[in-house]
Amino acid sequence: MKKTIIAAGLASLLSTTAIAENIGVSMALFDDNFLTVLRNGIEEEANGMDGIDVQIEDAQNDVARQLDQINNFIASGVDAIIVNPVDTSATQAMTDAASSAGVPLVFVNRQPVNVDTLPDNQAFVASNEIESGTLETFEICKMLRAQGFGGGARAYVMMGELSNQAAVQRTKDIEDVLGMDMCNFIEVIDQQTANWSREQANSLMTNWLASGEDFHAVIANNDEMALGAIQAMKAAGLDMADVVVGGVDATQDALAAMQAGDLDVTVFQNAGGQGSGALNAAIALANGEEVDQKVYIPFELVTPANIGDYLSQN
Amino acid sequence: MADQTSHGIGGLTYDKSKRAWPNEANVFIALVLIILAFEALGQILPYMNSQSMLFDFNTNRDGTILNVARIKIVILQVSIIGIISLGVTQVIISGGIDLSSGPLVGAAAMIVMSFGQTELVNGQINPKAVFGPWAFDLPVIVPILAGLSFGALIGCVNGSLIAFTRIPPFIATLGMFLICRGISQWWTKGQPVSFPTEQFAAIGSGMMPVVWFALLAVLLFFIMKFTVYGKHTYAIGSNEDAARMSGINVKRHKVLVYMIASMLAAFAAIVLSSKNLTAQAGMGQFYELYAIAMAVIGGVSLTGGRGSIVGTVLGAMVFGVIQSGFTFIKLDAFYQLMAMGTIIIGAVVLDQYRQQRSMAG
Repeated sequence: MKKTIIAAGLASLLSTTAIAENIGVSMALFDDNFLTVLRNGIEEEANGMDGIDVQIEDAQNDVARQLDQINNFIASGVDAIIVNPVDTSATQAMTDAASSAGVPLVFVNRQPVNVDTLPDNQAFVASNEIESGTLETFEICKMLRAQGFGGGARAYVMMGELSNQAAVQRTKDIEDVLGMDMCNFIEVIDQQTANWSREQANSLMTNWLASGEDFHAVIANNDEMALGAIQAMKAAGLDMADVVVGGVDATQDALAAMQAGDLDVTVFQNAGGQGSGALNAAIALANGEEVDQKVYIPFELVTPANIGDYLSQN
Repeated sequence: MADQTSHGIGGLTYDKSKRAWPNEANVFIALVLIILAFEALGQILPYMNSQSMLFDFNTNRDGTILNVARIKIVILQVSIIGIISLGVTQVIISGGIDLSSGPLVGAAAMIVMSFGQTELVNGQINPKAVFGPWAFDLPVIVPILAGLSFGALIGCVNGSLIAFTRIPPFIATLGMFLICRGISQWWTKGQPVSFPTEQFAAIGSGMMPVVWFALLAVLLFFIMKFTVYGKHTYAIGSNEDAARMSGINVKRHKVLVYMIASMLAAFAAIVLSSKNLTAQAGMGQFYELYAIAMAVIGGVSLTGGRGSIVGTVLGAMVFGVIQSGFTFIKLDAFYQLMAMGTIIIGAVVLDQYRQQRSMAG
């Protein structure tokens, strides 16, 4: 009698593990607004499905901790792993660990350095970072032209964390757009980092204002910094109608600032879409299906003209 | 006692002939030298077109020969960390250290802002609401009290651990560092908390952070200089055993010291979240280290018993001048941290050197 109960119990255990797919997720860090939306995208997508269990861990921006988490996932026998890499140049070891154990792996949001040599059961889901800074800067360029500054305009550039790939890429996008014939009337007065932070951007902008230079635009690598710049300019009594300010992310705070007429341009990166896309890719790989190795979720330009479409997105 | 003080260790005594001015004067001189260095760079560097950092002789934008906007931001940008450094100063003087203040700022900001949210944003319901409708548009005293009580609680735990279990302050507050960062992330699962009420936004708007910093600095200056609390803090930091034997309730006093430090950090969080109109789980990163650095540059000794609020305020000014100076001379962002670190180390090395010379008698 006892044996049958145990056997039945074991059988039911086995059958549930056979049905439920376990996906391990290692996020670069939890206390980042954008990555939180992405993480929620994974969780919501998983909650909407039957038999998908996700276990999400926080690598706390520590490369070594992230690799440990991946090895722990492999050891506990997950069906697939999603990694939001802390350091995009440290991904080869993760690829090797997962592929030698035969566990499918999906990189999300940040492009791994070995993206072109990923094994068949690994994929990369993100938005193409080149789009964001380009969309933002080109729109600012068009706005300045439309306001009659085509003969010459001056701009400040706020960079994110200098070690971050997105910051490097977006800053390069700005330089590239400002190098185009149509936009080379814009001169960059100074470019500095405010580490993605509203508080630091507020201080940086106030410092710039103290030098009394004439300027027409502030191009920031993200919305938080754009908002910090706006707060500083308003505190100094500037009319926000006279300055074109752009950011990236289309956060709720940024959209509210756009509705109030302070922020002119932002770019929506579909974080939730990346999260759900990564989960779907991971499940497909776990089931042995074919998946595109690079899945790009497009960036979308947000201006006062189309802001209504985005108010409930992030 | 007028000429000799027992603040030294190992029989080293204060020698008036070798030490003609107070320690704070060193920091002040360093501050002036750094300002002069930036002014000189403004004249020398070819791309600067002979601009001045703190003066404005030509355009006269503010109606004075001073560049008022620059002077304001020099102080404004260090006011919030400055508030934390006031509390850290008295912790270090008591012979301890507080590493938890930065993450405490993050956690307190999240908690505070959750009680300070407004209902309508551009006519719609606040998209970042943490609680239900009952928490919208509460009187401003509610978030303030929530923040200060949280600070008091954390400080009480820090102080009690250090006083009663005798674990080193570095370890106790390192643990609290992690706990507070955890709390700030857990509170809204990483989501930012935004859109405060107008009353709440007024706390940190404009130059208000400077006003708070100045008021609290004056208050702490009097407490440390003229009250029993201050004297006991110095006594414990100089020689804890002697302080205990002379009848000071060292344990209770330590709990108080850490409570005051954490409440100041929580108040900094109130001002910070109000100024930025948002609270984010990552707020306050490195604030604990900058607060400690401000105190140390201001002449507060990590071995305890020595330092002052005036020194710390000057140390904060040094930070502000350096930060503004870097932007003024358009120093490439990649070099700023290296330069900042070098200046911090240099300032303390110089101070140590002077002290050893003055005490070597």
